[in-house]
Amino acid sequence: MEPIIEIQKLSKTFGSGDGRVAALQDVSVQIQPGEIFGIIGLSGAGKSTLVRCINLLERPDEGRVLFHGRDLTELKPKQLRMQRRKISMIFQSFNLLDQRTSLDNICFPLELAGVSRKDARKRAMELLETVGLPDKASAYPVQLSGGQKQRIAIARALASDPEVLLCDEATSALDPKTTDSILKLLQRINRERGITVIIITHQMSVIEQICNRVAILDSGVVAEIGPVESVFSNPQSKAGRRLVSPDVAQPVTHWEIPTARIAFNAAMTEEPVIAMLAADKGICVSILGADTRNVSGKAFGTMLISLPEDVAQRKIVLDYLNAHEGVSAEEVTEDV
Amino acid sequence: MFDLFSDPAKVAQQLEIITSEYGFAVWETLYALALEVIFAYVIGLPAGVLLVTGEKEGIHPLPGWLMKLLNAVINLLRSVPFLILMIIVLPLSKVLVGTKVGTVATIPPMVIAAFPLVARMVETSLREVDHGVIEAAQSMGASTWQIVTKVMLPEATPSLISGGTITLGTILGYGAMAGIIGGGGLGKMAINYGYYNFKFIVMWAAVIGLILLVQIFQSAGTKIAASCDKRLKNRS
Repeated sequence: MEPIIEIQKLSKTFGSGDGRVAALQDVSVQIQPGEIFGIIGLSGAGKSTLVRCINLLERPDEGRVLFHGRDLTELKPKQLRMQRRKISMIFQSFNLLDQRTSLDNICFPLELAGVSRKDARKRAMELLETVGLPDKASAYPVQLSGGQKQRIAIARALASDPEVLLCDEATSALDPKTTDSILKLLQRINRERGITVIIITHQMSVIEQICNRVAILDSGVVAEIGPVESVFSNPQSKAGRRLVSPDVAQPVTHWEIPTARIAFNAAMTEEPVIAMLAADKGICVSILGADTRNVSGKAFGTMLISLPEDVAQRKIVLDYLNAHEGVSAEEVTEDV
Repeated sequence: MFDLFSDPAKVAQQLEIITSEYGFAVWETLYALALEVIFAYVIGLPAGVLLVTGEKEGIHPLPGWLMKLLNAVINLLRSVPFLILMIIVLPLSKVLVGTKVGTVATIPPMVIAAFPLVARMVETSLREVDHGVIEAAQSMGASTWQIVTKVMLPEATPSLISGGTITLGTILGYGAMAGIIGGGGLGKMAINYGYYNFKFIVMWAAVIGLILLVQIFQSAGTKIAASCDKRLKNRS
């Protein structure tokens, strides 16, 4: 399938001289129509810059952004504005117009597009229903809670009938329960309207709950990209491990003993492999750290174990573990 | 100046001036004020918008030299004392309104003195608008004009009204000074009839009138600004 959005070799640097910060370096990502795509990274990883480059709120220094195969960076200002109506955006701080009612906020993008006031109000009322706040039409933003504001912002984003919805830390200012309900709303919008959703977040739970695929951004570079299940169950990059299992990635002990990292897919194995290792091979290992995660309803585990000093025995351990379905083990050094 | 009521004949004469001329002086003050405020905003509002939108990080950056020039002109006009500015600009009045004397002649110098203040007031108000909201409008495909007219100005309205109230008070003060070069109104009454002619009751009456006008404008402005600010909770 042709990607709806294709980010090609994007680079962006802020500042100059000694203050230069490379926010993005050679970032390439393809986003498929209809998917919920997550971009995760710690703060300063370049997530916000990346999402702002998609609708060119931020101009990349190098690289291209293709929307339906069309390079947005080459469009004239007017053409770009037309395309932006197809790529809506919601924000961490909601960014509603404080001096307008909820209804008029939702009418705003329609007003920009020259839709008649009557039609705009009708559509805005429908969207208020969609986001579950039909009784808040005449409320001003100050009278709404954070979750309600984000719902109004979502309704406003949907008003121009977009194909893509960019969410820039849209749930980061909300409590867990509200976050959950906003994510469910986004999921419903994705399912019912077929809108492609791109979510920028630093919260693992957000990605786990609704994303199909995820890219891990680390210091302006895509460290890892793939389906959420595989990336989160067995991250291949350092940044991925730090994000997925921070406790296991940075254990308290020093790395003076040989160590292995094991990833479990609980859907495929329920065997007590560590105990079996001791029974079958007579090799005892100690557990240095362990963590389990729930990704899309499936359990995934990560564990750090000590390995024998003897190199041949180490190989036996790793081979034994890797022979089990749903288990992968590898020796790690120093920084996991 | 403070011995007001010792001579009954003088008191009666002054009271008569007040009863016959005061109403007209108030009217002249208000109508000159209205014209001055309107023209000051006609020039100052766009200038204030340009100061914000035209800067390097603004939504419609203008050439650096143009911004420098605009800032320099505004600062220059703001720093010349009003009385001097008025005298320098008077020949321009002859060109613009055909006369160098009278109330109408004072309007061009007043506008030239007031619009830089208006521009700065507008600039300050517009800078208070949350950048995120402007970014949101950009993400929806709003043009520069739409962002100015539909986001920046409406969102800054309460602050613009507060700024307008301050401007009104300042222009009223300038108007009183314009009495010196023959501008009509309460200022002229206070200086020409009152101070220069030793009719201090007239002077005080005019001064009190100016004070009351400022008070009325200020409290009305504050009320209007608050009542149109939808960010304030517990609105009635």
